[in-house]
Amino acid sequence: MFSRIAYAFRETWESFRRNLTLTAAAVLTSAVSLLLVGATFLIQRAFENLLVQWRGDVEMIVFVRSDASAEQVTLIDSVLRASPTIIDVEKLRYLNKTESYEEAKRIFAGDPVTLGLLTPETIPTQFKVVPLSDDPTLVRSLSDQYRTLPGVEAVALAEDEFEVISTLSNFIRVVTLITSLVLLLVAVGLIWNTIRTAMFARRREIEVMKLVGATNWFIRIPFMLEGLLQGLIGGVVSCGGLWVLNSAWTSGVTSFKPGTGISSLVVPDSYLTSVMFILLGIGAFVGAVGSAIAATRFLDV
Amino acid sequence: MIRLENVTKIYGTETVAVRDASFDIPKSQFVFLVGPSGSGKSTLLRLINRQEQPERGDVWVAGQNINELPASRVPHLRRSMGNVFQDYKLLLNKTVFENVAFALEVIGKPRHVIARQVPIVLDLVGLADKQDRFPNQLSGGEQQRVSIARAFVNRPLIMLADEPTGNLDPTTSEGIMGLLDEINQTGTTVIMATHDHRVVNAMRRRVIQLDRGVIVRDQERGVYE
Ligand SMILES: Nc1ncnc2c1ncn2[C@@H]1O[C@H](COP(=O)(O)OP(=O)(O)OP(=O)(O)O)[C@@H](O)[C@H]1O
Ligand SMILES: [Mg+2]
Repeated sequence: MFSRIAYAFRETWESFRRNLTLTAAAVLTSAVSLLLVGATFLIQRAFENLLVQWRGDVEMIVFVRSDASAEQVTLIDSVLRASPTIIDVEKLRYLNKTESYEEAKRIFAGDPVTLGLLTPETIPTQFKVVPLSDDPTLVRSLSDQYRTLPGVEAVALAEDEFEVISTLSNFIRVVTLITSLVLLLVAVGLIWNTIRTAMFARRREIEVMKLVGATNWFIRIPFMLEGLLQGLIGGVVSCGGLWVLNSAWTSGVTSFKPGTGISSLVVPDSYLTSVMFILLGIGAFVGAVGSAIAATRFLDV
Repeated sequence: MIRLENVTKIYGTETVAVRDASFDIPKSQFVFLVGPSGSGKSTLLRLINRQEQPERGDVWVAGQNINELPASRVPHLRRSMGNVFQDYKLLLNKTVFENVAFALEVIGKPRHVIARQVPIVLDLVGLADKQDRFPNQLSGGEQQRVSIARAFVNRPLIMLADEPTGNLDPTTSEGIMGLLDEINQTGTTVIMATHDHRVVNAMRRRVIQLDRGVIVRDQERGVYE
């Protein structure tokens, strides 16, 4: 058993050295495609973070100027309550300065600069409104109406934010996913080609092995190991690339103009780590598949 | 040991390489397959080690119908056979010792077995002192001895030799035949395809003659003709 394992590793290493150029091409392609897969994961996660800011079923926020008078707030409140068929009065909630500030502290936890600009005195208070209607145009006209009320600073529609973010994120997801799938296929093809070439270069040895009664698995395994290793090395390289990319992204986002909520685009390290493991897994899988196809086809004829 | 029953092998749709061939070779026999080029000698040998499968008929080896053998059992069948070729099929990047050891290594024999068996066969073929040479540092006859050592190192029941003296001069051929004879004496069945009148006539063993895929003569203690 030991001699078999030793044999497999020795042969794998030999073959690796012999086909350095092809191997490099295969490894590089798997690395690039895996990097793209990894980037897709991170981008998705960043957008999810952004969406989570709008959690709960609040779909409209009426921001009230911090210097608005108590009468103005009461007026807004009564206007909101005046249309119980359109908005859910039960769920209507007013956050005073302290409550608004508490919430801001939560949202901008990763963005101390923005948080520093806010104080419980200067922060706008807010009405969290849940519309009853699903009709987006009705909700929109409602928001236009609220916007003109005295003391109202702004009306934010969750729908707007969602729409922009999810359209963007879907688009990016589709593009990166397709590109990375295509590249992964190319990587499988390149690994297939290196293994085929390696086997062709050693067809004499393979012929002798078959004649003396080596099993197909015995012949195949060093080549499959080689392909697996190529995929795995591609995975390792892509992990390095992803780490660099993520560090640049993180520092870029952190220095971004505060107050825009962009800070939530930073991806936690634990997530990055699990993405890296996934990439290594996919890399090994791609390598194994490419070489298995090559080895099986070659041994059949 | 080896029995063919009405075996026909057709390559593609046209070429009938072997037509309705039947014979029975008992254990420890030495058999020559003779016939002109293209008469189907190599094909017969390849039917016996299941590099080819017949279109019709059965091939029996050691009591097994090898055409009914699942592909996964073929390696085990091949371990009971040694193969020798006109062009030796040695691995040029391996030494004499490594070439012979390779045959044991790839069927998973442990190191200590290899270390014990290889010197014994190298001694048998008279190459003990040249075990560290590479094939291109050997004469043709010596290279053929290495390939015989490699075929024999696993002590096969059957030795299939396809024109083993095809590239060698008469004196060297004699040496190789002596070696095959010696191997035959140990109880190994030997089947040798050849064009070489001289060796066939000198040995006086069973001769199976082929002509365009058909067995036209099967004679004990025969000559080439
Ligand atoms: N792999 C193959 N595909 C197609 N035809 C083949 C194949 N191998 C052999 N043949 C044909 O089958 C016939 C028998 O060939 P075979 O090699 O068995 O002859 P042989 O007696 O060994 O000849 P030689 O003495 O020249 O080695 C020939 O007509 C040959 O062209
Ligand atoms: Mg031939």
